[in-house]
Amino acid sequence: MIYHTLLFVLTAVFALWAVMARKLLTSAIMLALVSITVSLIFFDFGAPWAGVFELSVCAGLITVLFIGAVSLIRDHDEKRPENRSRFHALPLAAAIFAIAAWFYLPAFFEELAGWARVGNGGGTIGLALWEMRRPDLLGQVLMLAAGVFMIKSIFPRRTQK
Amino acid sequence: MDKGLLAYLLIPLFTAVLIPFIARNRPRLADIFANVTLLAGLVNLLWLALRPSVIAGGFADIPGDALSLLLVAAVYLVGLCVTFFSAYFMEEGLPNRQAYYSLILTSIAAMTGVVTTGDFFTLYVFIEVLAVTSFALITTDDSAGGIEGAIKYFFLTFPASALIMVGIAIFMISLGSLSFDSLRVYMSSDMPDGPVVFASALIMLGFLIKSGVVPFHAWTPDAYQGSYAPVSAHLAGIVTKISGVYAVVKLATLLRFFDGRAQALSELVMFLGLLSIAVGAIAALRQTSFKRMLAFSSISQVGYIVLAAGLGTPLAIMGAVFHLINHATFKTTLFLNSASLEKAAGTTDMDKLGGMEHAMPWTSWTSVIALLSTAGVPPLSGFWSKLLIILALWESGLKTYAVLALLFSIVTLAYFMIMQRKVFFGRKSPAAERSSEVSAPLLAPAVLMCGVIVALGLLFPYFYQYVKVVAERIIL
Repeated sequence: MIYHTLLFVLTAVFALWAVMARKLLTSAIMLALVSITVSLIFFDFGAPWAGVFELSVCAGLITVLFIGAVSLIRDHDEKRPENRSRFHALPLAAAIFAIAAWFYLPAFFEELAGWARVGNGGGTIGLALWEMRRPDLLGQVLMLAAGVFMIKSIFPRRTQK
Repeated sequence: MDKGLLAYLLIPLFTAVLIPFIARNRPRLADIFANVTLLAGLVNLLWLALRPSVIAGGFADIPGDALSLLLVAAVYLVGLCVTFFSAYFMEEGLPNRQAYYSLILTSIAAMTGVVTTGDFFTLYVFIEVLAVTSFALITTDDSAGGIEGAIKYFFLTFPASALIMVGIAIFMISLGSLSFDSLRVYMSSDMPDGPVVFASALIMLGFLIKSGVVPFHAWTPDAYQGSYAPVSAHLAGIVTKISGVYAVVKLATLLRFFDGRAQALSELVMFLGLLSIAVGAIAALRQTSFKRMLAFSSISQVGYIVLAAGLGTPLAIMGAVFHLINHATFKTTLFLNSASLEKAAGTTDMDKLGGMEHAMPWTSWTSVIALLSTAGVPPLSGFWSKLLIILALWESGLKTYAVLALLFSIVTLAYFMIMQRKVFFGRKSPAAERSSEVSAPLLAPAVLMCGVIVALGLLFPYFYQYVKVVAERIIL
């Protein structure tokens, strides 16, 4: 139970950080971390397929696209002042959410753990990753390579300018 | 996943990773490694498919569904033409030369993954890899047009990815599996089909957006026009065909197993195909930029493939597969020629060009062969694929569709003739006066593609036999 709660808190912290970060690159990295913690929650509740899909779709694809978009932004765009007054309400919203989670989350996790026991046929992380969804891993390796080459393609031009 | 073709995915990926290390101090090594990898792969594929014993046996020995092998060969052929052309087109000082080749090879590996997988989610992952590589390749020369095209490509194809994901999730809930085979078995059974038809519709819509079919074509002309010249050939020749059109054909063949229960969806796909043919052809007539005209022509030709895929009869699928291959050959030729024009004359604005045939005879005549094939003039390859599609429509009683498809083929000939007259024929323009033919290595890919166009047309009985094997294996 502590493990679930810890992951949930981490997810909430990374999500808030993604919204409030001043740099888009930080936002993208935090979004990837949200995906990873959500995947771990899925794995922990006996849903390895959902975890693998979450990892494939979010941590891999969206992050690479975000980094690509961020790297295309010019310096003067980054320096443009941003109206951040709307973010002042976020800590209050987070506090209300935390109090509600304190009361309701343990019961929700109990419920999920019950369902995980009922659906105890999803297999392990290893089985889902290496046996059932092996071609997806190949796709993820390609995605990683594409992300690296994309950054290698875009940054030298920016440095030269 | 077709394990027999796995090497064609892994080897380009390996070379892509190797290039930044090997070519760090000698950028020219990147050209050599990329070209040698693709040439070796292509020769190997030709050996697999065109050995005398395989031809004599009526292509029965071809492994897998035969479609994967054919499409991997098309991917390698277009990839080789683009990398060979790029080696002589690219400026010496381009800082991202190694990354450019690595991205092209990664996109070739991803396309191989797309056509060899047997699972919807894996297909989706590889298509997203293609989206990332295309995004980076479009902006290779860092021009404003390229960045605009790339951002439009990203924002308009992203909702398509979301639709595909929702469809995949519904498949997962309904079928408990995402393999093409399980979908085929489910569709052939009497189980409730509502959610599966809905999921198929969402996935089909997503892939239609990625194909650039009307009315989802807004990103296509900007992406093709704005991107780095050889990248336009890569995108229009093969990438959008594999990332969108191939998936539409694949899903359409699976819809046949619904036994008429997904008729409305098939009819909608056919209608959008016809709409694309018409809108693409009419819009192409009005363009002044050579590359933009080619982009609209591409939308129109994709319409033929989608129309045939929606019909879904064995003859129509044969026509769709054949036209997909033909489209890869003639559109690559025309886009490479537009790149040559850009290099020689400094513009692709058709109003500023004229009489280029005097300066660039080889470019002019390779354009003539490619455009005649696109318009469906016999005995070139485009004639046979369009004939198969129109015959399939006529046989199915869709005579209005058949007549309209034929009429717009004539419109295709008209806009290409206008282009040829404006750009290559007629009196010499100032641009023609100061231009000269591009070097032989830049001409070689276009000449090779023209050879393929003529060979596919003249040796049609053999190719017909091959696509018949494809149709038998994937739908009968």
